[in-house]
Amino acid sequence: MLSEIFRNLRKDFRVEFRNRAAINISIAFAGITTLAISLTAGGVSFSPRVQSIMLWIIMFFSAMNGLAHIFIREEEERTSLFLRLNSSLESVFLSKLLFNFIFFLILQVVICPLYIFFLQVDVKSPLLFLLILVSGGIAISSSTTILGAMVSKAGGKGSLFTVISFPILLPVLWIAITSTTDALEKRASAGFGNTLFFLAFSGVIISISFLLFKYIWVE
Amino acid sequence: MKATKLIFIMMPLSIFLAFMWAPPAEILGESSRIIYFHVPLAWGSVLAFVYSGIVSILFLADKKGKYTLLDERAYNSAGIGMVFTILAIISGAIWAKMSWGSYWNWDPRQTSITILMLIYIAYFSLHSALKDNESKGRICCSYLIFAMITVPLFIFIIPRMYPSLHPDPIINPERKLKLNAQMRTVLMISLFSFTLLYFYLLNLMNRISFIDNKYKEKYYEE
Repeated sequence: MLSEIFRNLRKDFRVEFRNRAAINISIAFAGITTLAISLTAGGVSFSPRVQSIMLWIIMFFSAMNGLAHIFIREEEERTSLFLRLNSSLESVFLSKLLFNFIFFLILQVVICPLYIFFLQVDVKSPLLFLLILVSGGIAISSSTTILGAMVSKAGGKGSLFTVISFPILLPVLWIAITSTTDALEKRASAGFGNTLFFLAFSGVIISISFLLFKYIWVE
Repeated sequence: MKATKLIFIMMPLSIFLAFMWAPPAEILGESSRIIYFHVPLAWGSVLAFVYSGIVSILFLADKKGKYTLLDERAYNSAGIGMVFTILAIISGAIWAKMSWGSYWNWDPRQTSITILMLIYIAYFSLHSALKDNESKGRICCSYLIFAMITVPLFIFIIPRMYPSLHPDPIINPERKLKLNAQMRTVLMISLFSFTLLYFYLLNLMNRISFIDNKYKEKYYEE
């Protein structure tokens, strides 16, 4: 199964980086939003709370442009039937989950330095900041993988993915914003515990997704 | 479900008791009467959500097709739940204006019910987007189950994040129902009536779905 997962993952990366549609759009969206905020603020510095709210809102909406793409592309290019016949359910789900996780990580690597640079963010606890970003990313990508599969069956219509993801991701966004504020203000006490919350949340969500995936993927 | 017809006695009775028999609360005055409608509506919206979730699990587990139209039942329950949620939000906002001075202030209870409404909106959006899809039932039921798993997180998270102005903690810090005996009786009768109303409406909608399904089957056969 491991070889199947890596084969699917390699295929997904190859196809994605051949046209780079999802990653280009997501990065462009993130860059434009960050620049727009910085430009309209005109050098005014925001409080750590506002900075962390904007950072996660930018990351959330940028990710919404790309995270569902991995399943939508299979339906659009009519390769989903081939994938269903060729790979086991588990390997398809796990490879897509890994892809989304790496995709979100790439987005964060681009967004965060841009955001810190343009909005003059002073990160007082870089370790906590990094931990929150990575664990928050795992939580978001694990929840959106199965939602992406659902949306792909609906033809990837417009903003449906954002609409169905938002209520599910609200607890993650809330905790991520609070913990990022702590990292910016160097109040690390609760922040480390929150990374555990993200991992627990991801564990629960991945288990449920794993159980439900066959009802969505198999026709 | 003949028992649900009790609603024709229970609902007028609860309205009568709420306005004519129950005394006004000491601090809150006449505005406290909204509790007999707001609390049962909020309870109904959660009940509808839980029912939809359980029916969705049954739908996915029922491989032999033992039960009919389970996905439709989940949809109908969510429909009633959505109406109850909107009415609970409106009645809560009116009450908030009278006692706190503003319609909306993101109190934890207001936040939780708004999230419930967002889940219903997301479910209906997905349902309508999958209109002609054969897997519609399976996908929508999966979404409801998925959403149901995340809801308890809000119950633990939101009260930790924001202080609440909601009457329960103000009236009694031990979080016990400390109402006058008359008020408690009316609230219980009202809760029972709204539960009956929910099941009455659900039964009605399920019957309509059943007839609609029969009609479509016959129409497509011809």
